Amino acid sequence: MDKRPERIHLHARFLTQGPERLLHHDNTTLCKALAIFFRLIGFLRPYRVGVIWSFVLASLAIVATVSIPWLTGAAVNQIDSGDKSSLVKIAIAIGGVSIVRLGLTVGRRIVAGRISLGVEFDLRNRLYGHLQGLELGFFDRQQTGQLMSRATVDLQSVRFFLGYGLIFLIQSALTLVIGATAMFILNPKLAAISLLPVPAVVLVARRYGIKARPALQEVQQRIAELTADAQENVSGVRVVKAFAREERQAERFRHTVTRVFDQSMYSTKLRAFYNPLIGFLPSLGLVAILYVGGRDVVNGSLTLGGFTAFYAYLLMMLGPMRTLGVALGMAQRAAASGARIFELLDREPRLVTPAGAPDLVAGAGRVEFRDVSLIYEGATENALTNIDLTVQAGTTVALVGTTASGKTTLSSLIPRLYDATSGTVLVDGVDVREVSIPSLRNSVALVTDDPFLFSETVAENITYARPDASVEEIEIAARRAQAHDFIEALPEGYNTLIGERGLTLSGGQRQRLAIARALIADPRILILDDATSSVDASTEHEIKEALRAVMEGRTTFIIAHRLSTISLADVIVVLERGRVVAHGSHDDLARESELYAAIVEKGLPDQVFLTRKPVETEVVGL
Amino acid sequence: MFIALIAATAATLAPAPLIKMAIDKGIVPGDLTQLNIAVAAFIGFALLLWATSAVQTYLVGWVGQRALQDLRVRIFEHLQTLSIGFYSRKQSGVLVSRMTNDVQALDQLVSDGIVTLFQATLTLVGTVVILLWLDVGLALISFIIFPLMVGASLAFRIASADAYRITREKIGAITSYLQETISGVRVVRSFGQEPRHVAAFSELNDQNRVANLKTVYLNAAYFPAIELMSAALTVAVLVYGGFQVIDGSITVGVLVAFIAALNTFFDPIGQLSQLYTTYQSGMAALDKIFELLDEEPDLVDDHRAPALPRINGAIDFEGVSFRYGEDDAGAWALRDISLKVPAGQTVALVGSTGAGKSTLAKLVARFYDPTVGSVLVDGHDLTKVRASSLRSQLGIVPQEGFLFSGSIRENIAFGRPDATDAQIADAAEAVGADVFIQEMSAGYDTEVGERGAQLSAGQRQLIAFARALIADPRILVLDEATSNVDIHTETKIEEGLRRLLAGRTAIVIAHRLSTIRSAGSIVVLEHGRIVESGTHDELIAAEGAYWRLYRDWATQAVA
Ligand SMILES: Nc1ncnc2c1ncn2[C@@H]1O[C@H](COP(=O)(O)OP(=O)(O)OP(=O)(O)O)[C@@H](O)[C@H]1O
Ligand SMILES: Nc1ncnc2c1ncn2[C@@H]1O[C@H](COP(=O)(O)OP(=O)(O)OP(=O)(O)O)[C@@H](O)[C@H]1O
Ligand SMILES: [Mg+2]
Repeated sequence: MDKRPERIHLHARFLTQGPERLLHHDNTTLCKALAIFFRLIGFLRPYRVGVIWSFVLASLAIVATVSIPWLTGAAVNQIDSGDKSSLVKIAIAIGGVSIVRLGLTVGRRIVAGRISLGVEFDLRNRLYGHLQGLELGFFDRQQTGQLMSRATVDLQSVRFFLGYGLIFLIQSALTLVIGATAMFILNPKLAAISLLPVPAVVLVARRYGIKARPALQEVQQRIAELTADAQENVSGVRVVKAFAREERQAERFRHTVTRVFDQSMYSTKLRAFYNPLIGFLPSLGLVAILYVGGRDVVNGSLTLGGFTAFYAYLLMMLGPMRTLGVALGMAQRAAASGARIFELLDREPRLVTPAGAPDLVAGAGRVEFRDVSLIYEGATENALTNIDLTVQAGTTVALVGTTASGKTTLSSLIPRLYDATSGTVLVDGVDVREVSIPSLRNSVALVTDDPFLFSETVAENITYARPDASVEEIEIAARRAQAHDFIEALPEGYNTLIGERGLTLSGGQRQRLAIARALIADPRILILDDATSSVDASTEHEIKEALRAVMEGRTTFIIAHRLSTISLADVIVVLERGRVVAHGSHDDLARESELYAAIVEKGLPDQVFLTRKPVETEVVGL
Repeated sequence: MFIALIAATAATLAPAPLIKMAIDKGIVPGDLTQLNIAVAAFIGFALLLWATSAVQTYLVGWVGQRALQDLRVRIFEHLQTLSIGFYSRKQSGVLVSRMTNDVQALDQLVSDGIVTLFQATLTLVGTVVILLWLDVGLALISFIIFPLMVGASLAFRIASADAYRITREKIGAITSYLQETISGVRVVRSFGQEPRHVAAFSELNDQNRVANLKTVYLNAAYFPAIELMSAALTVAVLVYGGFQVIDGSITVGVLVAFIAALNTFFDPIGQLSQLYTTYQSGMAALDKIFELLDEEPDLVDDHRAPALPRINGAIDFEGVSFRYGEDDAGAWALRDISLKVPAGQTVALVGSTGAGKSTLAKLVARFYDPTVGSVLVDGHDLTKVRASSLRSQLGIVPQEGFLFSGSIRENIAFGRPDATDAQIADAAEAVGADVFIQEMSAGYDTEVGERGAQLSAGQRQLIAFARALIADPRILVLDEATSNVDIHTETKIEEGLRRLLAGRTAIVIAHRLSTIRSAGSIVVLEHGRIVESGTHDELIAAEGAYWRLYRDWATQAVA
C-alpha cells in the first residue's frame, strides 16, 4: 500500500470544468455507496418475477446438490449391506436428481442472463435517451469518448453485478445464515466460538469497501479518459498525420494507458491485501473449533460424531464465504460504475419547456430579439449583448461581422439551441421558451458553418429532417442546392454511402448536401451559416438563383463574409463583439459601417473588371 | 509467480489432510500435543495461504494488466500506421471499441483465467494420480469424462464462435452509433430528430441484447451439461464399484475414498469448463483485435527509405492520375496531372467544387499515393522517402479544420511541442488570432473543447492556420484556409502571409478569387484535369475557364 497513484486529473474532463465536477473521492460516504446500490437494484423492478424465479431455481438446485452426497451416503450403506437392487434404485435416483438439477441450473442461468441483459438494455436506453434530452451546451464541454465509455464499459460492470453478483451475494449470505443457525442448534458454544471472527470480517470488508470503491471509480474514470483519447486520435488522424505527430500522440496514449495500469494495480493491491484477509479470518474460526472442540472430545464433553458433523458444516460454509467475497468485489465495481452512470443521469437538462407547452402557432416567420444577452457557460465575456432586432416575416437578413462577433450564436438562439441569458427571442410573437421544442425546431432549418453529415447514404442525409420525403422531393432539393449533378456522378447516385462526417466528399459537396437537407425540411425560417464558403463562384451563383425562389415566403438569415452572398439580403445587420452596430440596406451601410464598406471595397476591383469586359460578359452569357 | 501459484494451491489443499491428522492422531487417541501441532500447522497454512494469495493476486494482476495495456498500445500504434484511406472506410467508433470494449472483454480472462487454469489443472493432475492409486478400473471409468468433455467443448466452440463474434460486432455498432450521434449533436438538435435516434439506438441495443442472449443460452447448455456428465459418471462408479464391493473384489473403504476424491476431480473440471466459456468470449474479442492488427498498412514506408533532407520545396507532378477506392469502378479524381511548382513559388489552385483541388493537396502530403505517375519533392519520389520526414517540413491547413480538446496553446503548438510562448504568440499574430486569444478568459490556456466546439468557425480556422505556420514549414498547403473569416482578418492574414511566404513554396486553394490574384501562378482544375495555368493577368487575357470563374465571382460581388 505504499505509493498511491497520483489523483491529479491530467486530462479528465468529464464534468470537471468548474462547478460541474460532481465526483468526490471522499471516503466517508458508505451511505452513498449503499444509496447507489439500492438505486441499481431498483432497475431490477421490472424483472422482479424473474428475480424471484432465479432465487427459487437456485435454491432448489442447492437442495439437489446437497441431496446427491446424501443419496451417495445411502448408496454406500446399501453396498455395505450387499443389496444390489436397492443400490441400482438409489443410483437411478441420483441420476434423476442430477437431471432435475441440470434443468434447474439451465433454467436459472437463462433467467438470470435475461434479467441482466434486460437491465443493461434498459439502462443503456435510459442513458441514451437522457443524453438526447440534454441541451447542446452540455456537449460543448464534454468529450465524446467520456460519454461513450459510460454507456459501454461502465454498463458492463453493472450488468455483471445485477445479473450474477447479486444472486450469488444473496445466495451465499442466505447459506451462511442457515448454516450458522444449524450450527447454533447443534452446539451453541462451538457455534459462538466459530463465529468470533465474524465482526472482524465485517469490519475488514467495510474498510475494503471504503477504500476500493473510490479506487475503482478512478479506474473507470481513467478508462473513460483512455476512450476519449483513443476517440480523438482516431477522428483527428488526418491532423496527426499531416503534422507527423504519430510518435508524440502514441507517447501521450501510452501515458494514458499507464495511468489506467497504475490505478488498476492500485486496486489490485487493495484486492490482493483484503480478499485473502477476508478468506483468512474465518479459518481462525476453524482453528478455534479444532482447538476447543478437539479438547472437548478428548475430555468427553463432546462426541466425535458431534464434532465431525459440526466441522462438516463449517467446511461447507467456506465456499459461500469465498463467493461472498467475489460477489462483494463485483458489487464494489458496480457501485463505482453506477456512480458514474447516475452522475450523468442526474445531470438535469437545462433547456426545457414547461410540460404541455403548446406547439408553435402558425405564422410567417417573424423573428424578434428583445434585449437579448448571452454568456456561454464558463466564459467571462458576453457572446451577445443587448441585441434588439426585429426581422419581418419573409425578409432575408444578412448577418455580417468580424470573426467571433456572435453571428452563429445569434442565429442559434432562433431554434433555441441555447437559451439567452437575459432577454427574449420571439418567433411569430411567441417566446421560444414557451413553445414545444420539436414544433419550433421543425419550423427552423439550419445549415451550420461546419456541415456535419452522417455515414449513411446521400438520400438518407438529405431526408434527415423528413424521412418520408419522396424521391421527387429529394431531387428537387438536391437540384436547388446544385448537388444533383455531382450526386448522379457518384458510383451509386443517391444511394452512395458517404464516409463518416461526409469526409469522402469534397468540402463544397458536403456544404451542398447540407443545404439540400435544410431545404427539404420546408422551414418557416431558414438559416444559412457560411453555407457556401467552400463553393466556387459559378456554383454559388446557381445556388443563389435557386435560393431566391426558395426564400420566397420564408424568413432567411444569411451569415456570410462575401459580398456575393450578402447581396441576397434585403436587410443587413452588422455585429461587432456581440452587439448590433449597424442595421439597414446596402446603401445605408456602405456609408455607415466601416466593416461593410471594407467588404464592398474588396469587391470593387471586380466592378472595374466587369466594366472593362462588358461585351464578353454578354457574349458568354448568351 | 509460479511459485506463488503452486504455494497457494498447496495451501488451499492443506486443511483437509490437516484436519484428518488432527482427528486421527490427536482427538481420537486423545493426544493433545498432536492436536496442538495440527492446530499450529493449520494456522501456519492459513497464514501461508493469505500471503501467497496476496502475492499471487498481485502478480497475476500485474501480468494481466500489463498484457491488456500493451495490447491497447499495440492497437493504437498499429492504427497510426494505417493510411487515411483506411479511416475513410472504417467507422471510428468501431476502431475505438477495439481499444476499449474488446480489450476490456479480455480483462476477466487474464485476471481470473490464469489462476483458475493453473490451480484447476494442478488439482486435476493431483486427483488423477490419487484416483489411479485408489483403483485403476474405477479411475478409467471416471476418465471417460475427458473425451466427453472434449466433445462437448468442441460442440460448444462450433456453436458459440459465431455468437460471440456477433456480440463483439454489436457492441462495436453501439459504440459507433453513440460516437456519431454525439459528435453530430448540433445537427440532431437543430432538426429536432432526437426521437428517431433514440429509436434507432434502441434497435441496436436490442440487437446487442439478442446476440448476448444467444451466448447465455449456449453457456446455459454447456456448463450444466458437463455437470450432468460428472453426475452420470459418479453414478456409474457407484454402481460398478458397489457391485465390486458386494462381490468382494474391493473394500468399502476404497470405494468411499474414491467417491470422495471424485468430487475433487469433477470440481476443477467444472471450473475449467466455466473458464472455457470465458475463454471463448475473450477469444472472440481477441479475434476482432487481431483482425485489426492484421490489417496491412497500405502506405508503408520502405524501411530502408531515407529521410528527406531539408527541402527547398520544388514540387513536381509527373503524369499523375488518381482515384479513391481500390477497385477500378471509382471515378478518376485526378487525370494526367503534370505540374511543376518551383521552390519558393506560390501556386493557386482554382476550379469548381469537386474538381480535385483538395485531392491534389492530399497527394503532396502523401495521404494517398498516386494511382499512376509520381509526385516528387526536390526530385525525390514521395513513395521512396519516409513520410514523416516529408510531413514535418509541410504546413497544412486542411479544409476541415480539426482541433484537439485542450488549450489554444496546445493546439497551436501541436506540430511543434517545444515551441516557446513567444513563437506561439508570433504564429497567432501572423494570422491575426492574437487579439481574440488575449481577450479570452484564460488567454492561450483557454480550453477549445472537442473539435474546438467552444470557438467560432473563424477562430477555429485561425488556430488551424497558426498551427500550420509554427513549425516553420518549407511547403505550405492552404486549403481554403480563410474561407470562414471576415475580410478584415483576411486582409491582415494576407499581409502577414506575404512576409511569411517569402522563400517558401505554397499551394493555395481558394474560392474567393480576390485572395489569389497575387499568386505567382494560377492553375485551373476541371473534373480532375488541369485546363489552364498562368498568372492572373494572362488567364484573364486568355478568357478561358479562369476568366469565366472570375466573371461569375465578380458579378456576384456586386450584384
Ligand atoms: N476520401 C474520398 N473517397 C472517395 N472519394 C473522394 C474522397 N475525397 C474526395 N473524393 C471525391 O473526389 C473528388 C474531388 O474531391 P476534392 O476534395 O479534391 O475536391 P475539391 O476540388 O477540393 O472541391 P471543393 O472545392 O469542394 O473542396 C470529388 O468528387 C469527391 O467526391
Ligand atoms: N459553445 C461555446 N462555448 C463557449 N464559447 C463559445 C461557444 N461558441 C462560441 N463561443 C464564443 O462566442 C463568441 C461568438 O462566437 P460565434 O460562433 O457566434 O461567432 P461568429 O460571429 O459566428 O464567428 P465566425 O464568423 O468565426 O463563425 C466567440 O468568442 C466564441 O469563442
Ligand atoms: Mg460562425
